[in-house]
Amino acid sequence: MSPAAGSISTLVASLWLLNVVLDTGGQLAFKAAAGDPHAGDGLARWKHMAARPWLWFGVASYVIEFLVWIAFLSLVPLSEGVLLGSINIVAIMIAGRFLFGEKLTRMRVLGILLVTLGVVIVGVAG
Amino acid sequence: MKRFYLFGFLLLMGFDTLAQVSFKYAGSQALPVAASVAWVLRVFGQPWVYGAVIGYIGAFFTWMTLLKHAPIGPAFAASHLEVVSVMLLSIWLFDEHLTVARVLGAIAIVAGIVCLGLAESHEHPAAATAPDAARA
Repeated sequence: MSPAAGSISTLVASLWLLNVVLDTGGQLAFKAAAGDPHAGDGLARWKHMAARPWLWFGVASYVIEFLVWIAFLSLVPLSEGVLLGSINIVAIMIAGRFLFGEKLTRMRVLGILLVTLGVVIVGVAG
Repeated sequence: MKRFYLFGFLLLMGFDTLAQVSFKYAGSQALPVAASVAWVLRVFGQPWVYGAVIGYIGAFFTWMTLLKHAPIGPAFAASHLEVVSVMLLSIWLFDEHLTVARVLGAIAIVAGIVCLGLAESHEHPAAATAPDAARA
Protein backbone atom coordinates (compact mmCIF):
# COMPACT_ATOMS: atom_id res chain seq x y z
CA MET A 1 0.00 0.00 0.00
CA SER A 2 1.46 3.37 -1.01
CA PRO A 3 1.45 6.41 1.26
CA ALA A 4 -1.43 8.78 0.59
CA ALA A 5 -1.21 11.17 -2.36
CA GLY A 6 2.18 9.80 -3.46
CA SER A 7 4.10 11.78 -0.86
CA ILE A 8 6.10 10.56 2.10
CA SER A 9 4.37 11.48 5.36
CA THR A 10 6.08 13.10 8.34
CA LEU A 11 5.74 9.86 10.33
CA VAL A 12 7.42 7.82 7.58
CA ALA A 13 10.20 10.41 7.20
CA SER A 14 10.79 10.48 10.98
CA LEU A 15 10.98 6.69 11.21
CA TRP A 16 13.39 6.65 8.25
CA LEU A 17 15.65 9.24 9.89
CA LEU A 18 15.54 7.50 13.28
CA ASN A 19 16.48 4.24 11.58
CA VAL A 20 19.57 5.83 9.97
CA VAL A 21 20.73 7.25 13.31
CA LEU A 22 20.22 3.96 15.20
CA ASP A 23 21.76 1.82 12.49
CA THR A 24 24.86 4.01 12.21
CA GLY A 25 25.28 4.20 15.99
CA GLY A 26 24.88 0.44 16.30
CA GLN A 27 27.32 -0.36 13.50
CA LEU A 28 29.99 1.94 14.88
CA ALA A 29 29.59 0.38 18.33
CA PHE A 30 30.00 -3.12 16.84
CA LYS A 31 33.08 -1.95 14.94
CA ALA A 32 34.54 -0.59 18.17
CA ALA A 33 33.81 -3.93 19.90
CA ALA A 34 35.00 -6.23 17.07
CA GLY A 35 38.05 -4.19 16.14
CA ASP A 36 39.57 -4.28 19.66
CA PRO A 37 43.06 -5.73 19.12
CA HIS A 38 43.26 -6.99 22.74
CA ALA A 39 40.14 -9.15 22.44
CA GLY A 40 41.88 -12.42 21.56
CA ASP A 41 40.10 -15.31 19.81
CA GLY A 42 37.16 -17.66 20.14
CA LEU A 43 35.20 -17.71 23.38
CA ALA A 44 37.71 -15.40 25.09
CA ARG A 45 36.99 -12.79 22.41
CA TRP A 46 33.26 -12.92 23.12
CA LYS A 47 33.85 -12.71 26.88
CA HIS A 48 36.15 -9.71 26.34
CA MET A 49 33.51 -7.96 24.22
CA ALA A 50 30.65 -8.82 26.61
CA ALA A 51 32.54 -7.23 29.53
CA ARG A 52 32.73 -3.87 27.71
CA PRO A 53 29.97 -1.38 26.89
CA TRP A 54 30.37 -1.15 23.08
CA LEU A 55 28.78 -4.50 22.29
CA TRP A 56 25.78 -3.69 24.51
CA PHE A 57 25.42 -0.18 23.11
CA GLY A 58 25.24 -1.80 19.68
CA VAL A 59 22.68 -4.37 20.84
CA ALA A 60 20.48 -1.66 22.44
CA SER A 61 20.56 0.43 19.25
CA TYR A 62 19.55 -2.63 17.26
CA VAL A 63 16.66 -3.56 19.55
CA ILE A 64 15.12 -0.08 19.17
CA GLU A 65 15.91 -0.04 15.46
CA PHE A 66 14.11 -3.39 15.15
CA LEU A 67 10.81 -1.79 16.22
CA VAL A 68 11.40 1.43 14.25
CA TRP A 69 12.06 -0.55 11.07
CA ILE A 70 8.92 -2.72 11.49
CA ALA A 71 6.87 0.46 11.87
CA PHE A 72 8.56 2.01 8.83
CA LEU A 73 8.05 -1.03 6.58
CA SER A 74 4.40 -1.36 7.57
CA LEU A 75 3.82 2.10 6.06
CA VAL A 76 5.71 1.78 2.75
CA PRO A 77 5.98 -0.97 0.10
CA LEU A 78 8.85 -3.36 0.97
CA SER A 79 10.64 -2.85 -2.37
CA GLU A 80 10.64 0.90 -1.75
CA GLY A 81 11.52 0.57 1.94
CA VAL A 82 14.70 -1.47 1.40
CA LEU A 83 15.88 0.98 -1.28
CA LEU A 84 15.28 3.97 1.01
CA GLY A 85 17.12 2.10 3.79
CA SER A 86 20.25 2.00 1.59
CA ILE A 87 21.04 5.51 2.82
CA ASN A 88 22.52 3.69 5.84
CA ILE A 89 25.49 2.77 3.63
CA VAL A 90 26.22 6.44 3.05
CA ALA A 91 25.82 7.36 6.71
CA ILE A 92 28.14 4.56 7.87
CA MET A 93 30.83 5.47 5.32
CA ILE A 94 30.83 9.11 6.37
CA ALA A 95 30.80 8.21 10.07
CA GLY A 96 33.65 5.70 9.47
CA ARG A 97 35.63 8.50 7.84
CA PHE A 98 35.30 10.77 10.86
CA LEU A 99 35.52 8.22 13.70
CA PHE A 100 37.90 5.57 12.37
CA GLY A 101 39.84 7.64 9.83
CA GLU A 102 38.72 5.39 6.95
CA LYS A 103 39.67 7.06 3.67
CA LEU A 104 37.12 8.55 1.28
CA THR A 105 38.82 7.88 -2.05
CA ARG A 106 37.37 9.12 -5.37
CA MET A 107 35.81 5.69 -5.99
CA ARG A 108 34.17 5.70 -2.56
CA VAL A 109 32.84 9.23 -3.10
CA LEU A 110 31.40 8.06 -6.44
CA GLY A 111 29.78 5.09 -4.68
CA ILE A 112 28.32 7.34 -2.00
CA LEU A 113 26.94 9.75 -4.64
CA LEU A 114 25.35 6.92 -6.65
CA VAL A 115 23.67 5.36 -3.60
CA THR A 116 22.41 8.79 -2.52
CA LEU A 117 21.12 9.46 -6.05
CA GLY A 118 19.25 6.14 -5.99
CA VAL A 119 17.65 6.90 -2.63
CA VAL A 120 16.66 10.41 -3.80
CA ILE A 121 15.06 9.01 -6.99
CA VAL A 122 12.99 6.51 -4.97
CA GLY A 123 12.20 9.02 -2.20
CA VAL A 124 11.06 11.81 -4.52
CA ALA A 125 8.95 9.50 -6.69
CA GLY A 126 7.61 7.50 -3.73
CA MET B 1 39.72 -17.04 2.17
CA LYS B 2 37.79 -16.09 -0.97
CA ARG B 3 35.38 -18.97 -0.38
CA PHE B 4 35.02 -17.92 3.26
CA TYR B 5 33.94 -14.43 2.22
CA LEU B 6 31.61 -15.67 -0.54
CA PHE B 7 29.86 -18.12 1.78
CA GLY B 8 29.75 -15.54 4.56
CA PHE B 9 28.22 -12.83 2.38
CA LEU B 10 25.66 -15.23 0.85
CA LEU B 11 24.66 -16.41 4.32
CA LEU B 12 24.39 -12.79 5.44
CA MET B 13 22.26 -11.97 2.39
CA GLY B 14 19.98 -14.94 3.14
CA PHE B 15 19.47 -13.93 6.78
CA ASP B 16 18.94 -10.27 5.79
CA THR B 17 16.36 -11.23 3.17
CA LEU B 18 14.48 -13.45 5.63
CA ALA B 19 14.49 -10.60 8.16
CA GLN B 20 13.17 -7.96 5.70
CA VAL B 21 10.35 -10.14 4.42
CA SER B 22 9.41 -11.07 8.00
CA PHE B 23 9.54 -7.40 9.07
CA LYS B 24 7.08 -6.52 6.33
CA TYR B 25 4.66 -9.32 7.27
CA ALA B 26 4.97 -8.51 10.99
CA GLY B 27 4.39 -4.79 10.47
CA SER B 28 1.46 -5.29 8.12
CA GLN B 29 -0.30 -7.49 10.67
CA ALA B 30 0.26 -5.02 13.54
CA LEU B 31 -1.24 -1.92 11.89
CA PRO B 32 -2.02 0.82 12.75
CA VAL B 33 1.40 2.08 13.84
CA ALA B 34 1.40 3.79 17.24
CA ALA B 35 4.04 4.57 19.87
CA SER B 36 2.19 2.38 22.33
CA VAL B 37 2.47 -0.87 24.28
CA ALA B 38 -0.56 -2.11 22.37
CA TRP B 39 1.33 -1.83 19.08
CA VAL B 40 4.40 -3.62 20.47
CA LEU B 41 2.11 -6.39 21.79
CA ARG B 42 0.47 -6.69 18.36
CA VAL B 43 3.93 -6.95 16.77
CA PHE B 44 5.05 -9.74 19.13
CA GLY B 45 1.63 -11.42 19.11
CA GLN B 46 2.01 -12.96 15.66
CA PRO B 47 4.61 -15.43 14.35
CA TRP B 48 6.35 -13.34 11.67
CA VAL B 49 8.24 -11.20 14.12
CA TYR B 50 10.12 -14.32 15.21
CA GLY B 51 11.22 -14.93 11.60
CA ALA B 52 12.67 -11.42 11.76
CA VAL B 53 14.38 -12.25 15.08
CA ILE B 54 15.96 -15.40 13.56
CA GLY B 55 17.12 -13.41 10.52
CA TYR B 56 18.46 -10.65 12.75
CA ILE B 57 20.39 -12.98 15.09
CA GLY B 58 21.74 -15.06 12.20
CA ALA B 59 22.84 -11.89 10.39
CA PHE B 60 24.39 -10.56 13.61
CA PHE B 61 26.70 -13.53 14.20
CA THR B 62 27.59 -13.82 10.49
CA TRP B 63 28.30 -10.08 10.45
CA MET B 64 30.46 -10.10 13.59
CA THR B 65 32.52 -13.01 12.21
CA LEU B 66 33.04 -11.24 8.88
CA LEU B 67 33.75 -7.90 10.51
CA LYS B 68 36.71 -9.31 12.41
CA HIS B 69 38.50 -9.70 9.07
CA ALA B 70 36.84 -7.24 6.69
CA PRO B 71 36.91 -3.41 6.94
CA ILE B 72 33.54 -1.98 7.99
CA GLY B 73 32.66 0.02 4.86
CA PRO B 74 32.88 -2.63 2.14
CA ALA B 75 31.60 -5.43 4.39
CA PHE B 76 28.58 -3.24 5.10
CA ALA B 77 28.17 -2.48 1.39
CA ALA B 78 28.33 -6.18 0.47
CA SER B 79 25.73 -6.95 3.10
CA HIS B 80 23.38 -4.49 1.40
CA LEU B 81 23.11 -6.36 -1.88
CA GLU B 82 20.02 -7.92 -0.30
CA VAL B 83 18.08 -4.96 -1.75
CA VAL B 84 17.96 -6.89 -5.02
CA SER B 85 16.71 -10.18 -3.54
CA VAL B 86 14.16 -8.38 -1.34
CA MET B 87 12.85 -6.29 -4.27
CA LEU B 88 12.33 -9.35 -6.44
CA LEU B 89 10.69 -11.28 -3.58
CA SER B 90 8.28 -8.43 -2.83
CA ILE B 91 6.86 -8.60 -6.36
CA TRP B 92 6.00 -12.23 -5.76
CA LEU B 93 5.02 -12.14 -2.08
CA PHE B 94 3.38 -8.71 -1.73
CA ASP B 95 2.15 -8.03 -5.29
CA GLU B 96 4.34 -4.95 -5.50
CA HIS B 97 5.38 -3.45 -8.83
CA LEU B 98 8.74 -2.47 -10.28
CA THR B 99 8.02 1.20 -10.97
CA VAL B 100 10.44 3.16 -13.18
CA ALA B 101 11.66 5.09 -10.11
CA ARG B 102 12.36 1.90 -8.14
CA VAL B 103 14.26 0.29 -11.03
CA LEU B 104 16.33 3.44 -11.67
CA GLY B 105 16.92 3.87 -7.95
CA ALA B 106 17.97 0.24 -7.56
CA ILE B 107 20.38 0.48 -10.52
CA ALA B 108 22.02 3.60 -9.04
CA ILE B 109 22.22 2.00 -5.58
CA VAL B 110 23.71 -1.29 -6.85
CA ALA B 111 26.18 0.66 -9.03
CA GLY B 112 27.13 2.65 -5.93
CA ILE B 113 27.60 -0.55 -3.91
CA VAL B 114 29.81 -1.99 -6.69
CA CYS B 115 31.91 1.21 -6.67
CA LEU B 116 32.36 0.90 -2.91
CA GLY B 117 33.48 -2.72 -3.34
CA LEU B 118 35.93 -1.76 -6.11
CA ALA B 119 37.27 1.12 -4.03
CA GLU B 120 38.14 -1.39 -1.34
CA SER B 121 39.98 -3.83 -3.61
CA HIS B 122 42.05 -0.89 -4.94
CA GLU B 123 42.59 0.38 -1.44
CA HIS B 124 43.83 -2.84 0.24
CA PRO B 125 45.01 -5.17 -2.55
CA ALA B 126 47.61 -6.84 -0.32
CA ALA B 127 45.51 -7.32 2.78
CA ALA B 128 42.22 -8.36 1.15
CA THR B 129 43.29 -10.54 -1.78
CA ALA B 130 46.82 -11.74 -1.04
CA PRO B 131 45.97 -15.48 -0.83
CA ASP B 132 43.96 -15.37 -4.07
CA ALA B 133 46.50 -13.24 -5.90
CA ALA B 134 49.19 -15.74 -4.95
CA ARG B 135 47.09 -18.60 -6.31
CA ALA B 136 46.41 -16.77 -9.59
